[in-house]
Amino acid sequence: MKRRIVITGMGSVTPLGLTVEEMWSNLLAGKSGIRPIHIFDAETFPTTFAAQVPDFDIAPYVKNPAAYAKAGRNVRFAAAAARMAWQDARLAAGGFDPERTAIYLGSGEGILDFFSLADSILAGLGPDGKVSAVGFAEAGFKRFDALRELEQEPNMPANHLASEYGIAGPTYSCLTACAASTQAIGESMDLLRTGRADMVMAGGTHSMIHPLGVTGFNLLTAISTEHKDEPWRASRPFDRDRAGFVLGEGSTIMILEELGHAQARGVRVWAELTGYGSTADAYRMTDIHPEGRGPAAAMRAALADAGIGPEAIDYISAHGTGTTENDKVETLAVKTVFGPRAYQVPMSSVKSTLGHLIAAAGATELATCVLAIRDQVLPPTMNLETPDPECDLDYVPHTARKARAEVCLSNSFGFGGQNDSLVVRRFVP
Amino acid sequence: MNRRVVITGLGVVSPAGLGAGALAEAIRAGRSAVGPVTKFDASRYPSRVAGEVRDFDPSEGVRKDQGRYVKKMAKVMAVDIQLAVAAANLAVLDTGLPLGDAKADEPVLPTIDHTRFGMVFGTGFIPTELDDLAAPAAASVVDGKFSLKGWGSSGIPKMFPLWLLKYLPNMHSCHTGILWNAEGPSNSLTVSDAGGLLALDEAARIIVRGAADRMLAGGAESRVNPVLMMRYCLLGRLATANDHPAAASRPFDLGRTGHVAAEGAAVFMLEARDVAEKRGARIYGEILGTGAACTTAGVNACDADGRAVALAVRQALAAAGIEPRDLGAIFAHGPALAMHDRSEAAGLAAALGSAAKSVPVTAIKGVTGNMGAASGLVELAAACLLARDGHVPPILNCDRPDTEAGLNFVIGKPVAMVRDTVLATTNAIGGQAAAVVVRLIRAS
Repeated sequence: MKRRIVITGMGSVTPLGLTVEEMWSNLLAGKSGIRPIHIFDAETFPTTFAAQVPDFDIAPYVKNPAAYAKAGRNVRFAAAAARMAWQDARLAAGGFDPERTAIYLGSGEGILDFFSLADSILAGLGPDGKVSAVGFAEAGFKRFDALRELEQEPNMPANHLASEYGIAGPTYSCLTACAASTQAIGESMDLLRTGRADMVMAGGTHSMIHPLGVTGFNLLTAISTEHKDEPWRASRPFDRDRAGFVLGEGSTIMILEELGHAQARGVRVWAELTGYGSTADAYRMTDIHPEGRGPAAAMRAALADAGIGPEAIDYISAHGTGTTENDKVETLAVKTVFGPRAYQVPMSSVKSTLGHLIAAAGATELATCVLAIRDQVLPPTMNLETPDPECDLDYVPHTARKARAEVCLSNSFGFGGQNDSLVVRRFVP
Repeated sequence: MNRRVVITGLGVVSPAGLGAGALAEAIRAGRSAVGPVTKFDASRYPSRVAGEVRDFDPSEGVRKDQGRYVKKMAKVMAVDIQLAVAAANLAVLDTGLPLGDAKADEPVLPTIDHTRFGMVFGTGFIPTELDDLAAPAAASVVDGKFSLKGWGSSGIPKMFPLWLLKYLPNMHSCHTGILWNAEGPSNSLTVSDAGGLLALDEAARIIVRGAADRMLAGGAESRVNPVLMMRYCLLGRLATANDHPAAASRPFDLGRTGHVAAEGAAVFMLEARDVAEKRGARIYGEILGTGAACTTAGVNACDADGRAVALAVRQALAAAGIEPRDLGAIFAHGPALAMHDRSEAAGLAAALGSAAKSVPVTAIKGVTGNMGAASGLVELAAACLLARDGHVPPILNCDRPDTEAGLNFVIGKPVAMVRDTVLATTNAIGGQAAAVVVRLIRAS
């Protein structure tokens, strides 16, 4: 008998609000978080818009704001989301063993000090077009800040959380591109099932809304450059005229507990995590397997882990990025797994308004599944105006829908062919 | 009944050369692979020594079609990824699994279930090569200064299209997965120095829970580049003993001055024991237990009392069902930075209790330097080979051991290894600690 795993706390900082509830009501209202980029001057970039987290003060969320002085956006988002999750799970008064508590985040890099890097590169640039480390170092040692450099490392969010909450048990960070926080939550389930921990602070945090992040995705033509004047129309999952995803940022942190641990604390349970599947495409660096082999295998593995068949699934939270390939292949993979019933299972993409939170996407989308279960309502896919014959499932277009949502499947598929799926269901004691 | 996990393949690329054998040989000979930095002009850096990997070919030994893939993709693989791919190739080739015939269009490993073959890598966050941004940065200058507006309009078009993918930390597993057709679970852990051992910890658990039969567990990182060496110099972590490179990396020695930046990779093939035995595989050892913990001391600090290391070691010993006195040797992290070494030594002493005085403790970074995410598994690979000698090698460059914690460091000459169970540990500054206990099987 597998140990049961429940979600007892959730916190989110996203482009649609600084709490889980604010995000949820905006999602249901179809409100978009996508705006012109204001974090840096992106005016001349191929893509000029993104879904950015509203400005906020970190002080209410942390014990010692000075410890975060050089922290990146990723750390700040995680710190805020974690505090809300911690309070939501009623942990402020203690009641946990620090050595039996783990952290597992899907987390990306901090924001590179791009101006210092560029200036130092220019200082070292020789007539041959190569950069001499002599000139680079002479400029760089004056420009770069030691702690700010350290804060770029992707384990910083987890390490800050360990210090903030005194969590001393196993601590992991993974960075499997867009699948990272789904994977983090899935692997957290293993830590709980095997008794390596009784409680895990799990989730994701990321911002790639920085000059080299936007540059990198523009070069791959992965993000949309269209609808510049009406950016809220740019994220168009499953629409015929979709042209790439829209970058988002943010963090969702959850408190996961072994059921007995949660019951002993007498805490309210949000939902139960029952299935996790992880696979790789092993196909090509830049392309998804055309038949969706890996995504289908991940969904099947998650269902098998949950001990259910596809008929038990009420709702699918799609990876649904809005790239031509992903949406087509995900649709195909869902048909492979669900057979003819695929047409009866609603599947929506919150990325249509929230943007793509990359390493934080999966945890955030799992939170929307939990809320769908609570409210029996499904968030809509916005901007789905012109159907694509290759994307012909029920994507819950335009408006939120009252519907049965007892068991949900949440998909995340990353660059490099990482595929991860989770099954979450209403908690029944 | 839990599945048991064994090691059936080793691949190492280290400053000592290509292959686990080259590393073991350098350790036996007490020969440091640390030298002056040659990959770039480090004359303006306070630290100018490194453990560099020279002249390795990531396509060596593999099938022709695989070799073509590696050669074609090498230009979009940062050195970290090339190191990982090279070590993974060596590890798979080392397993004795038969390769399929490419001409007959056979799968690369025709005897295994590819959907039950996965991988976990410990990786660093790879900084861009400066030359990749040189022309774009030059094109972005407006009125004599770098300008974001210039970057957006004139810099970006000068970048090469796959730039982002050259540096993503999950590309180790992406390319390795494509080369060996591994369609099972795949993860990339970014937990600094602890990456390798935590990758092994997770990969072993994936086999135990039945989600795969075979997993590659790897660690790969290069810290020998202008960006990371600047970062770690600014943080005061790198060795400044530049005049005698071979003596620069001094684990647990009172004369230590910091980490020697290094690069490398190690990949282990792990198999469920029943699966490995059924095919008659050569087995290096069995994973008996793993442990993981985290410091709460802050992101740029270590526990003075080593409590994270102690917890990870206690977990690993408990999972292995053994007592500290049952350990034949400890292969410690020992990166040769005072705060770092002391924390680890204190943690080991706390976890070992009365056995601290007797269990031999060694470290190999005197030979290699600190390979970051590659470190833990390179050390464990060395342990797997050196155990066959029946003795524990001494810590190179540890002439005046820091004995404060009361550990039994191996100094000067090898000591007999009287038990076949070894412990490997790592601790990342500000973060993760990991411990792995392996029962080694000596070649008969």
